[in-house]
Amino acid sequence: MRSLGIGFVAAATAAAVGFLIVPALILGAPLEPVMGLVQKIFYFHVPCATMLFLSTFVCAGGSIAYLFKGSEAGDRVAASAGELAVLFGLCTLVTGPLWGRKAWGVWWQWDARLTSALLLELIMIAYLLARRYGGPAGRKLSAALGLFAALDVPLVYKSVDIWRTVHPQTTVVPSLDPRMRPAFWSAFALILLVWTVLFMVRLRLERARAELASLRLDVEDMLEIG
Amino acid sequence: MKNRNRWWGRGWLPAISVLALLALAPALAVAQEFQKVSGPLREELPATPFVAAAYGFIWIALLAYVVLLARGVGRVRKDLAELRGKIAEQADRGGPRP
Repeated sequence: MRSLGIGFVAAATAAAVGFLIVPALILGAPLEPVMGLVQKIFYFHVPCATMLFLSTFVCAGGSIAYLFKGSEAGDRVAASAGELAVLFGLCTLVTGPLWGRKAWGVWWQWDARLTSALLLELIMIAYLLARRYGGPAGRKLSAALGLFAALDVPLVYKSVDIWRTVHPQTTVVPSLDPRMRPAFWSAFALILLVWTVLFMVRLRLERARAELASLRLDVEDMLEIG
Repeated sequence: MKNRNRWWGRGWLPAISVLALLALAPALAVAQEFQKVSGPLREELPATPFVAAAYGFIWIALLAYVVLLARGVGRVRKDLAELRGKIAEQADRGGPRP
């Protein structure tokens, strides 16, 4: 496996430093008057949800390239992004109920936002399962699931505006108090950086696995000839 | 006589219900009263454990994923080294190269 390069080392270092600085900024941000301290979950919950959307779109892009052009590179991109979608979806679906339990008094509500987000996570888990256990057609089946997942993303995002839900609306971030913005955007930049680093490493691993599989076939051929 | 007994039997149930309601009425009234808090007001659900659990989960999940990735990279490196060893061995014997 080739070296990951200076860019990766710089990004990983910046992410490590960010994990020291961003919590301090979040603690320094003013308290929300209605929800109080528990609102601070927002600073990581929203970036994680955004990374779930980003991963799903990247996965769908790779899936389109694989399904319609037979691109192996597209398939590797989709596989890497699919795994990150499950990871960040899990972070979103765990931190949300922790916030909801204090703010709404319940862990879960079957409203449009929460249900569609859970559905998206389940589709992405199905994507990984189809890839791993789907047999020879597994990669094509999972690519189709990746496309379905991308169709669910706009529904998850707009659900709070279309239907009446207990979840805050999409206007929360644009109308954020100016004193809360540095903490929010620094947390967002940190999570985006972490996503980028993880995606780079995961993609490299996927490439190395493909290389290894191809080399194995060559060695088997060579041993047969020998 | 038979009809009178039936009437008597039917009359018992409503009478007992009314008496039971009369007896329970003060208790029900007390249960619906608001009571003044004595001493400082305590919050039922403190926010700190929820915030700590949320941040802790994100950290642990990311760390676990990094460990999984590192294990995957380690396995691939080991397999590549084994394959390279086999290729070198074959080359030493004068066999074909991949």
